[in-house]
Amino acid sequence: MAVIEAIATTYLEADAASVTFSSLGSYEHLQIRGGAHTDAAGAGYNAFHIRFNGDTAANYAFHYMRGYNGSNTAATAATGYSYIFCGLEPGPGGLSTAYGTAIIDILDYRNTNKNTTISYSPAIATGAGGSTEVQFGSGLWDSTAAVTSIVLTPQSGNFTRGSEFTLFGLASS
Amino acid sequence: MAAFTVIDHTELGAAAASWSKTSIPSSYDHLLLKVSARTDTAAHLGNLMLRFNSDTGTNYSQTLLYANTSTPASARSTGLTSIYYGPTVGGASILADTFGAIKIWIPNYANTANFKQASIDGVIENNSTTNAQWNLHVAAGLWSSTAAINAVSLTDLAGGNLVQYSTFTLYGVTGA
Repeated sequence: MAVIEAIATTYLEADAASVTFSSLGSYEHLQIRGGAHTDAAGAGYNAFHIRFNGDTAANYAFHYMRGYNGSNTAATAATGYSYIFCGLEPGPGGLSTAYGTAIIDILDYRNTNKNTTISYSPAIATGAGGSTEVQFGSGLWDSTAAVTSIVLTPQSGNFTRGSEFTLFGLASS
Repeated sequence: MAAFTVIDHTELGAAAASWSKTSIPSSYDHLLLKVSARTDTAAHLGNLMLRFNSDTGTNYSQTLLYANTSTPASARSTGLTSIYYGPTVGGASILADTFGAIKIWIPNYANTANFKQASIDGVIENNSTTNAQWNLHVAAGLWSSTAAINAVSLTDLAGGNLVQYSTFTLYGVTGA
């Protein structure tokens, strides 16, 4: 077995409300790499979020810092959410052919002595004059359950055709 | 295509003052270290000291982009005995069972012509919106030595212990 393996890739041939990975294998760490676009009405760009094991209760927290639109910086802290913001995606108000990028690391996802912690680094560059943003952030799922499924969902609307996510597993032996 | 090899994986069965890996082969192109850790230091925020080849001289420098309030900031320092920007790690005051996440890339670690750079990002996640009870680090570190790296260690800057269940996975990366 290779140390790093692509577990699954989802390429959307049609718009979809979410993307789910439900066979995560037995690795030490997971990583998701993807690119997404949304059809959310009016959005120049928008966010997408992650949930684990179908948990939609307020068991998540996240923190991120961002540089955006050329000269702005900020950071955000949030608790009591039902998801973790972890990605960026252009919308109909932005460049139609652009897809945001995201790398999401999920460490030690099977360890039942730990809450699940992730780090993520999404980015979007929509061309001259368009909205741009780069983030680095972290997220917490306040549960020591082993992660057995992952759902990625746009903040509103759908992922549009051409959005693609690959789930990698990183072994430790 | 890049190929990854596991050089070491350690999950602490009990609290320990440090993690280290010695006798790292020089046969890879790069190193990647993934860490899921916390310490028993009575604080929310902490840092691990990254050292190479057991060098405790003032041969390290570092630069940092970070946030633990609504305003990101940067910092840098030189003449250090370790790199501690980047490997940020939570202490005993953060939410129970919650471990930080750290990635450390060390490119071209075995070359003997250049000083060694490390690219590091680390997070202290916590169920808190209070300033300085969470932390985000993106950092670069420099070891001013042309020696090939054959040992890596992480130690709590505050002198505490890494707690049980902390994990450390060191990969060797070859190819491009």
